[in-house]
Amino acid sequence: MTKLPDSNYVAPTGPQKFMGKPIKRVEDPRFITGAGMYTDDINVHGQLHAAMLRSPYAHAKIGKIDASEALALPGVHAVLTGEDMKDVGSIPTGWLLPGLVVPHHAAIAHTEVNYVGDIVAVVIADTRAIAEDAVALIDVDLEPLGSTSLGSQAMAEGATLVHEEAPGNVAFQWEIGDAAATEAGFAAADKVVSLKLRNHRLVPNAIEPRASLSEYRAASDEYTLHTTSQNPHIHRLLLAAFVLGIPEQKLRVISPDVGGGFGSKIFQYAEEVIVLFASKKLRRPIKWAARRSEAFVTDAQGRDHESEAEIALKADGSFLALRVKTLANMGAYLTTFAPAVPTYLYGTLLNGVYKFPAIHAHVTGVFTNTVPVDAYRGAGRPEATYLVERIVSKAAQELGMDPSEIRRKNFIQPQDFPYQTPVALVYDSGNYEPAMDKALGMANYQNLLQEQAEGRASGKKYIGIGFSTYVEACGLAPSALVGQLGAQAGQWESSVVRVMPTGKVEVLTGSHSHGQGHETTFAQLVAEELQIPMEDVTIVHGDTGKMPFGWGTYGSRSAAVGGSALKMALGKIKAKATKIAAHLLEAAPEDVEQVDGTFRVKGVPEGGKSFFDVALMAHLAHNFPADTEPGLEEQYMYDPKNFVYPFGTHIAVVEVDADTGKVKLRQYVAVDDCGPLMNPMIVEGQVHGGIAQGFGQAVLEETVYDEDGNLLSGNFMEYAMPRAEDMVQIQVDHTVTPSPHNPLGVKGIGESGTISSTAAVANAVVNALEAFGINHLDMPYTPEKVWQAIQAARKDMPQAADD
Amino acid sequence: MQVDGSNVIQAPRERVWALLQDPDVLARCVPGVQEMTPDGPDSYTAVLNVAVGPVKGKFKAKVKLSNQVPPESMTLTIEAKAPTGIVNAVGQLVLVDQGESTRVDWSGEPKMMGMIASLAGRLIGGISKSQADVFFGNLEKEAQKPVPA
Repeated sequence: MTKLPDSNYVAPTGPQKFMGKPIKRVEDPRFITGAGMYTDDINVHGQLHAAMLRSPYAHAKIGKIDASEALALPGVHAVLTGEDMKDVGSIPTGWLLPGLVVPHHAAIAHTEVNYVGDIVAVVIADTRAIAEDAVALIDVDLEPLGSTSLGSQAMAEGATLVHEEAPGNVAFQWEIGDAAATEAGFAAADKVVSLKLRNHRLVPNAIEPRASLSEYRAASDEYTLHTTSQNPHIHRLLLAAFVLGIPEQKLRVISPDVGGGFGSKIFQYAEEVIVLFASKKLRRPIKWAARRSEAFVTDAQGRDHESEAEIALKADGSFLALRVKTLANMGAYLTTFAPAVPTYLYGTLLNGVYKFPAIHAHVTGVFTNTVPVDAYRGAGRPEATYLVERIVSKAAQELGMDPSEIRRKNFIQPQDFPYQTPVALVYDSGNYEPAMDKALGMANYQNLLQEQAEGRASGKKYIGIGFSTYVEACGLAPSALVGQLGAQAGQWESSVVRVMPTGKVEVLTGSHSHGQGHETTFAQLVAEELQIPMEDVTIVHGDTGKMPFGWGTYGSRSAAVGGSALKMALGKIKAKATKIAAHLLEAAPEDVEQVDGTFRVKGVPEGGKSFFDVALMAHLAHNFPADTEPGLEEQYMYDPKNFVYPFGTHIAVVEVDADTGKVKLRQYVAVDDCGPLMNPMIVEGQVHGGIAQGFGQAVLEETVYDEDGNLLSGNFMEYAMPRAEDMVQIQVDHTVTPSPHNPLGVKGIGESGTISSTAAVANAVVNALEAFGINHLDMPYTPEKVWQAIQAARKDMPQAADD
Repeated sequence: MQVDGSNVIQAPRERVWALLQDPDVLARCVPGVQEMTPDGPDSYTAVLNVAVGPVKGKFKAKVKLSNQVPPESMTLTIEAKAPTGIVNAVGQLVLVDQGESTRVDWSGEPKMMGMIASLAGRLIGGISKSQADVFFGNLEKEAQKPVPA
């Protein structure tokens, strides 16, 4: 591979003033005091409100729509149906696979609705209350059709088709790895361990429900869309080029403060199309904001796999091969990244941190009459990690090995990097044993084992210790590579550094912060590189009108890709500033250095020019190098050379109450390696949140559909989110193995917590239940499910029931 | 979800049967009825103001009586639509003669669709029972009124 100037990480040589410091987030005062500015906080003159009539059926034919009563209600301006928008383009899918069936996805359903929540009609009215009242007055003939909600149910013989063009409800068939080599591995195996599991569906539940506000200016034929998005530039492209046919420069998309995304705010949703369309049609600004109950049935959901896996081992516990077959429930439509999640973000991660001679995975994407499924924090990698880490722990149990030892035995070793896995990825760097050893020490593993043995022997205490030694691929990724894999987007990131005449700095980034703290970490990087106070730096993100191009935030790419773009742009600024300073100091640029914020001639301690002096002269250009353009503004577009591969060891300790089935988290140890930490406090916050999210899936959260496709768990009484009392004080530590191919050496940390913790907690619960002879149980481990499993196991083991 | 129950009305079976066939009586007894108009033999359209758990709303309903075996049994079919979803229920009413009083055994399977299913699904059993109690309480009052000549 060609070595490009920015392909190598160079560790900082001296002490750092801002980078690596636990600096409090500059965003927090406004968030904590309620001064944040979210989309729904924005109101403009003349604005009208949209409310959606959503399908109560999972699958139905749309007959006559009678809106006369709704239109007669004072304050109602319009009722839009699929007929009104039939010439608007389909909401596109941003990742294509060979043979992929992409059904038409209309913003307002035209002839058929395909899930509970699909939009049938839209009311535009003076107020939200009037719009919602008018929705109740629309009379629609809906003729219910058969429906399915579970992937395997949709694949069954005779299942009703969600879309006529997808026979058998199959969206795609996809495979990776070497089937023949895998067969050979199984043929040579001393032991085969199999596992059938369901990775159940999750609702993202960002704290801020989605909202959109569109303004249309007839004079210039321009639109401004405020919307809750992780990547406004992607919306501009999709909405302008593919859906509405607006020239991109006529559409400005702004995502102001955004209250959490976790993936659910990546995708192009119908409501954004509707408010844009309506704002032009009615020549009035149009706002829509989701009710929480709407969020449950419209925000793209996560996970939902049914899998069968087998691992082939030698008697000593060495891995020979892994075989995986997965049904991935895609829901009713293919949203922006949906086809990538159970394929390239899942199959490629099935290797984990281990030396597998061979792997083969087959994935079938299935349509069902449910909310679409797309990327949710971790996106494919939590599903892969859960499967691999579960089957490895199950194999250890069946072989009578310690779960940490079977891992250690199969780890890829430091000298093996860069490591080519059997499933396409090349891991750049890693050192897995030190992270695990650190975690074992922090957990006090030997004492835990002793306590576990004593508790089991007494029949009074059942503790479980669960491991997850994960790796993830994030910081997507060379554009050329993802293009080959089907991405319809570039994956580089851009940064503009604009130095004002006074030396204040405005940084524009195509990356977006909705909880990650860019305004802090990116400002730290600028302050460090330019040797100026952090207060002099403003980070601007989330506005296509200010920042021309970018791809937003997902897949833990902000630091590794957006941060690298910024670092490179800052390098260009430094070079030009040094050149200007050299001119002012009447020295050669190579003889000038910047020390404590001042440009000096090397070896001459007195005199010198401040950053302010240089910035001012850059704009005045009164006394300036002849071959140099005035101004001090630079842009860099950074295309990564590879994914980055954070890794680590998480250990969860749970206690299961055998009488009630209640699972209590007792201890949680996380040792992560995300390369150099830009801000350890923010890293820790990301790890904490991620672990709570992954724990939520393992123990609490479950999206339940009935057989007719009705979502039964559509509120916070039925859908249990983790609360403070469910968690423990997490023990966090790190190892630092820099990524060799980006200028910051950083890897992502936004998703690791979620990717790893579900597996760690699940392994802990099953480890506790091994006392009853249970060797697998599907998540979530609700008290009822655990209690039933213990009761059933005791029936099978009469002597245990006598204890 | 299957729901059932029994309520006793202090009136002879013929009287209870007659009350159950009278749309005006039903309109007064069914909880939350705003209007109820016959649109065919044993068939009515109704507007109901109903609170199903956290979901309060106006339901447009079609009510049908069928399989009538006077004065013993009948089937009651309700299809109620609101913006938050649809409730369909088929109920069976059996009138048991207890001399001066009548026991009404009822059973049915309410089915919810749409957002209402996710908001109120778990509550439907309890709500069905409490609504039935209100209904039969009202019916009891009707039964105590003097029989029109």
